[in-house]
Amino acid sequence: MTSVNATFGEVAAERRIASAPLSHVSIELGHLYMEDFEAGPERLREQFRRVAPWAGTVRSSWQDRIPGGRARVSTCFLIDDYFSKFSTPAELVPMVLDAAADCDLTIDYIARESACAESDGIELARLVEDRLVNDPPPDTNGSRPPVKESGWLCNGARSPQVGTVQAMGKANRWAPPLQNAKRGHSIFVDVELWDENGGKRTWSCPFLAAVWQLLRLGLLRTDGRLPLRPVMREDAFPDDWESLPAVMQLNPAAAPFSAYTTLSVLSPRFLPVELAVRTILSQVAVDGDVLKQVVARSGGEGIRLEEELVDRISYVFT
Amino acid sequence: MLVMGEVHTGLLQNSGEIPESTCRDVLQLLSGERVRVSRRPIVYAVSPDLLTGVDCRLPSASQSRIRGAGTVLSRSSITGGRVVQGSSHTRIERSGSDRRQPWSHYLARPGVVEALGKAKPRDLADGFAEEPSADGLDLGAISARFMDVVQSSPLLDRRAPFKIARTRLRWVAEPGEPAIHFTLHSDQMRTVRLVHTGEFTPAVVDLCEDLALHDWLLTALLVIIERARIGGTPGPEAAAKLAPAVDHLLHLWMPSARVDDLLSPYWESLDRRPGFTRQWQSLVDRVRDQLAVHTLAFLREKSGGGAR
Repeated sequence: MTSVNATFGEVAAERRIASAPLSHVSIELGHLYMEDFEAGPERLREQFRRVAPWAGTVRSSWQDRIPGGRARVSTCFLIDDYFSKFSTPAELVPMVLDAAADCDLTIDYIARESACAESDGIELARLVEDRLVNDPPPDTNGSRPPVKESGWLCNGARSPQVGTVQAMGKANRWAPPLQNAKRGHSIFVDVELWDENGGKRTWSCPFLAAVWQLLRLGLLRTDGRLPLRPVMREDAFPDDWESLPAVMQLNPAAAPFSAYTTLSVLSPRFLPVELAVRTILSQVAVDGDVLKQVVARSGGEGIRLEEELVDRISYVFT
Repeated sequence: MLVMGEVHTGLLQNSGEIPESTCRDVLQLLSGERVRVSRRPIVYAVSPDLLTGVDCRLPSASQSRIRGAGTVLSRSSITGGRVVQGSSHTRIERSGSDRRQPWSHYLARPGVVEALGKAKPRDLADGFAEEPSADGLDLGAISARFMDVVQSSPLLDRRAPFKIARTRLRWVAEPGEPAIHFTLHSDQMRTVRLVHTGEFTPAVVDLCEDLALHDWLLTALLVIIERARIGGTPGPEAAAKLAPAVDHLLHLWMPSARVDDLLSPYWESLDRRPGFTRQWQSLVDRVRDQLAVHTLAFLREKSGGGAR
């Protein structure tokens, strides 16, 4: 009898990872807080006028890079409904769209900031928090669990606590905090990820912005599935923020929401926030299979992506 | 260059074996990630892989000070609802630079530790197989934590049917002419030096975990038989001490169940010499014979010699 090659598979034993449709670049046209909206449409137009030339430059540089100029570029806009709720989508979204159109900008997707905390019962912020792998200071050999300050994340070793007494009765003197992998001198960053009041957790703005970048890079999965998909707009916008989809597609012809790379055009006042975002993102462990999937996809298109995900994110501060 | 790992194996701290659904709950160590379970030929549940960051001295037989930075991959698993393992490993690679890189560099290579400076694979491997220095990479402590996280689960009753020490199996895998060396050190410590053809694959980790599991089973059965003091204690007492083996261990022996076909020759060669399965079988026969003898004696006693 000839030998038989048997294969046996078990679905519950295998790992399946959905792949996200990906553009080449996702451009964030602005990130405005409620006070900006309160200032009225002229403030919005001012923002979009500053953004428009940069968005155009990035679009054309990708078109030059892609054979046939068929670059997939999508634009998005994030509205803060997490830290303060203002007006209604029915009133505010058309105002944003009109202001953008006045500056020849098309907003393909609009997203709610609170969706970065939780959307459709999926706690995206928790998902990302669980994937933080702390940057270890020198002499971290695994013998002890990683030192974590609840709700904080830093890029090195904190100062020892002044005033605490060591075993031999000598009080600790101040010593500087140290950045890991510093170049010459330290730039030590310690970021608050969340705080809790009466048992209710509030995620910090940089933490939600880190989740937002990961969503735009298409790198998050929950049980192997994409945590959220953009929902096509309906004719009328709802009267409350909760009824607005987490990410809503406004332009039916838009390229995919997520992309290999992201660009955010922001006011310089967001610089400290984005430093904090990069500190967080430098310590998020994205699933190895998802990383490989994205590299394979981009490689198939002849695009060499930066290995480190923070290098796939760029900014214009204007 | 090479891959090093350590597997800790022990008895689940629960009175009985736990069902598949409890295995899933106990091993749910990462939100948004499924616990993988296979049911054939034995129920095996494994947690998602988690990373631990390290930046420390690498093991070195020549006591060279080689710094390594990167991440260690770890997971917890439960076999047959009864045996728990904590397993960690990392691939050591040469760093392109002799400076510590920003952390994002290392997170782009999950499960890799980069050696800064001149590291020789043989020196690292020899150093790891020996007792590593106190300030060096401590995969054992990481694996122990991945075992503890299961053992301390509130879903377990912490009433194990018998006491048995954990075993630790430290392994190193290098490319080259296929070979495997299994060494028994102390009561709890084992090392495996494995040479594989071609690229390293995660199947090597599965093989080492499978070896650790079966070595623990064999160790546990030996201890139970030793404690029963067959011949030195009255028959019923010895039989009672052997009972946990029948209740909890004998059905778990499934060598090579999850091992890739390409790697099963490694198991087969270890099974020829020293002959794990041969030893297991002889111990199982011994337990069963003892229980049979005891049953016969018991029946004879019950019939009260009336047949005389």
